[in-house]
Amino acid sequence: MNFFKRAWLNVWAKKGRSVLLILVSSAILMFVLAGLLIRSAAVKATSQAKADVGATVTLSANRQAAFKKMQSRTTSSKSSRPKMTLTPVKLSDAVKVAQLSNISSYSVTSSTSVNASSYETVSTSTGMGSSNSGGPGGMKSATSTGDTQIDGVTATSLTTGFSNKQSKITKGRGITAADKNTNNVVVEKDLASQNNLTVGDTLTVKEATGDKDKVKLKVVGIYKASSTSSSNASPMSTDPANTMYTSYTLANTFKGSKYAGTADSVTFNVSNPAKVSSVKTAGKKLINTSKYSLSTDDASYQTVKASMDNVEGFANKIVWLVAIAGTIILALIVILTIRERRFEIGVLLSLGEARWKIIAQFFTEMLMVIVVAVAIAGVGGKFVGNQLGSQLVSQSATTTQTTSSGTGQPGGGEPSGNGGSGGPGSTGQMAKQATDMKIAVTVSAVNLAELGGFGLAITFLSIMIASGGILRLEPKKVLIS
Amino acid sequence: MLKTEGLGYWYQDKDQPLFQGIDLEFDAGQSYAILGHSGSGKTTFLSLIAGLDQPKEGDIKLNERSLKQIGLTNFRRHDVSIVFQAYNLFTYMSPLNNLLTAMAITDAAHAGDKAYARQVLSDLGISTDLAERNVQHLSGGQQQRVAIARTMCCDAKLVVADEPTGNLDEDNTKEVIQQFQKIAHEQGKCVIIVTHEPDVASQCDHQFRLENKQFVELA
Ligand SMILES: Nc1ncnc2c1ncn2[C@@H]1O[C@H](COP(=O)(O)OP(=O)(O)OP(=O)(O)O)[C@@H](O)[C@H]1O
Ligand SMILES: [Mg+2]
Repeated sequence: MNFFKRAWLNVWAKKGRSVLLILVSSAILMFVLAGLLIRSAAVKATSQAKADVGATVTLSANRQAAFKKMQSRTTSSKSSRPKMTLTPVKLSDAVKVAQLSNISSYSVTSSTSVNASSYETVSTSTGMGSSNSGGPGGMKSATSTGDTQIDGVTATSLTTGFSNKQSKITKGRGITAADKNTNNVVVEKDLASQNNLTVGDTLTVKEATGDKDKVKLKVVGIYKASSTSSSNASPMSTDPANTMYTSYTLANTFKGSKYAGTADSVTFNVSNPAKVSSVKTAGKKLINTSKYSLSTDDASYQTVKASMDNVEGFANKIVWLVAIAGTIILALIVILTIRERRFEIGVLLSLGEARWKIIAQFFTEMLMVIVVAVAIAGVGGKFVGNQLGSQLVSQSATTTQTTSSGTGQPGGGEPSGNGGSGGPGSTGQMAKQATDMKIAVTVSAVNLAELGGFGLAITFLSIMIASGGILRLEPKKVLIS
Repeated sequence: MLKTEGLGYWYQDKDQPLFQGIDLEFDAGQSYAILGHSGSGKTTFLSLIAGLDQPKEGDIKLNERSLKQIGLTNFRRHDVSIVFQAYNLFTYMSPLNNLLTAMAITDAAHAGDKAYARQVLSDLGISTDLAERNVQHLSGGQQQRVAIARTMCCDAKLVVADEPTGNLDEDNTKEVIQQFQKIAHEQGKCVIIVTHEPDVASQCDHQFRLENKQFVELA
């Protein structure tokens, strides 16, 4: 194949031009690679986000159905005071739901309140001594009126407040599954210091309902509630320092014997956040939907996903725009070189060389340039990708933050244990999480192969566009003026 | 060997052809000079018999086969070798590679034979040293000799040249014409040279003058 040799001789003899072409092609391919890298990093980050952020499905009493029932009862019987009865979730139901695929773990929440006995509650300047109906989650046993909020959980680490790091264990440990059927308690730092409580101490509470027994609790850990969680809580609530965490079994004991084996709500962690709605559909078949409802919370995942989708979409646009622009630029360069090389083409044609072989020569020359350019871009693209990637993520996170904070529902809309879902504070926290997500840019063999593919396509297309000039060239007109 | 039958050509106006009804015959082993004043259509005629363009009228036949039948690209590759006044060579190659490239494209018998190409070049006074340098470093006379060497290397039996000595001094002109004579008489090829130098023309075996749209053979 003689045109290979000609291509090589040309590229080698015209070193200056070749180097220039390599530089131009490298620049084009560097941007293509940067786009490819950001795209694959965004894909990776999204799947990472699935694992990190997670999504939940919460099983709780069906408030809406209960509310309707209450209304109909009010109109039929002339009961003086309408009362809404919420059926506590049966743990046996929860176990059934937990067996669905894509559910990795579940956590039980049962909240109530008790009255302080051996200690003093922390009082806020505004709400001192006020009755504390409606905790942070707004969901509580209707009869409880104590001054200390008891959040019975499976494990503190599984609660929203702790998993999103708004609350932190400062001393001792949190409640774990091993604390089931114990009187262990985790108290807030302010309450602990006010009452000189430390890990290992005991405190006494008085039940707010039933026979109002005094119960001794053992402090196993001290936690710090963040300031945001207080702003998060509804205005009527008590000071957040008066919230204690216990095992849900203890909370049920406080509520009364008929609450054994129940919960206010059960939150299921969905291993693949993309599957949330299918989990919800499957779960609904297992429960009595007139009494219970399943609600989903994948807001964090959606936030991160939206931000990563933004990045991915942008990266895609970069790849295609640069590829198209690069093709046009290279085509123009080739068209110009063809004009400059028309005598050479004329001599080739006068020797009887086939036109396609002349085009093949130009293609081979360009390919040699592109191979070197791919290598250069492979080194440089990582740098460009890193720069662009970090900028894009922070940018998209900011835009996501501004858009999502507008739609953020007021705290405590859905009964989902403590904290409530999607309050303004937690949305900001999610956006922060997205910002923290590093776009880790590494050039993989796949990226290089993709880049090579783009290089090849760009070369091929640009030569095809420019080859019209070669096909039209008349040797007579070139050589005989 | 090469015959024109009722050959005619015009650019824009059919009523004002450059030449018309031309019946000529060119034989192998002979050299032909075509004279004529500027603009008479010598180059145009040459481009037709070199297979660079198609006649408007009549036919050109190589060994009784029409060029149309052979195909112009095929004809250029195997049957004709062209030497121009300028721009004959690949500027990014050495003389040696110019020869090797032409031999490869035209499927010459000596294709790929470096020693043969070197020998042909040195016979024409292009030293081994010069043969490896870029052609752009060669003088005009040397470049034209490389173009002639290329013609010698290739197997085409028809050699056409358009004012091959136009850019050369007297000594180089003499040398180049001698080489063309060699090609005709020693290689047995048919050589057709367009020139407007009577001295050059007189050295060829036959002379034609393009006048009033007709070719007239000079005694
Ligand atoms: N592509 C073209 N389009 C139109 N007219 C052309 C074209 N090429 C040449 N001509 C005209 O045709 C005529 C013959 O041109 P040609 O080049 O064959 O002359 P020539 O005999 O080779 O002249 P010279 O001795 O100057 O080289 C000239 O009048 C020229 O202007
Ligand atoms: Mg001319």
